Amino acid sequence: MPDTGSYMIAAYIVTAVVVLGYVGSLWRRGK
Amino acid sequence: MTLEAASAGQQISRGRIVTLIGVVALVVLYVMALQFTPPERFQGLAQKIFYIHPPAAYAMQMAFIFTGIASLLYLLLHDARFDVFAEASAEVGMMFGLIVVITGPIWGRPAWGTWWEWEPRLTFTVMEIDLFGGYFALRGAVRDPAERAKFAAVMGLMALVLVPFNHLTVYLFASQHPQPVVIKTSKPELPFEMLRTFLTGFVVFTILYLGLVMQRYGIGARAAIQEAADA
Repeated sequence: MPDTGSYMIAAYIVTAVVVLGYVGSLWRRGK
Repeated sequence: MTLEAASAGQQISRGRIVTLIGVVALVVLYVMALQFTPPERFQGLAQKIFYIHPPAAYAMQMAFIFTGIASLLYLLLHDARFDVFAEASAEVGMMFGLIVVITGPIWGRPAWGTWWEWEPRLTFTVMEIDLFGGYFALRGAVRDPAERAKFAAVMGLMALVLVPFNHLTVYLFASQHPQPVVIKTSKPELPFEMLRTFLTGFVVFTILYLGLVMQRYGIGARAAIQEAADA
């Protein structure tokens, strides 16, 4: 099995950062 | 019907609760995908991007479809709530689009041997996101709220045309992007554990879409009320 774990980790981190970043942006704008 | 400040505040509060549920569900999805779903033999762990990339693409398409429908309803009914909803859904769609165009190349590198390929599915996705970028540029350029809503509704409706084309690219053209492995006429070709996690991803991104749009709708409604009061 090829060693591609770093790609998976990168994709999961990016997704979390984008979602949480947008959630934070809405939280700030919704105050 | 008009926009009401109290209702906008309620939408924001409710949206926050649904978003919180969505974020917790996203954590559950991560645990399911990383801990309780076996890796695929040929791609290795990179195949697990499968549990976030297609659900994000589905959420993006759903968001743009709802923007198109709300745009049409605005043009027919001239109800400001549809304009506010169309904008909210488009913005949330752009956020999911960002996830799609970042996770796609990260998956493409190990799976296809290249970060990017100008093949139909990828090109149509970029065009779609580009069009909605134009949608926001247009909104920012028109000062009069009624004119802005009308122009944006026309653009939102026109952009809707790209959505089914994007979906059909893998059937219509010689596309490097794979065809659906679950949503098709024959039985899904996935082991149960993979299918369960994959379908959970769709539920999670749907909850996130709902929560985020509710919040963004409330924020947009409040801004529209303020704009009308300032005029």
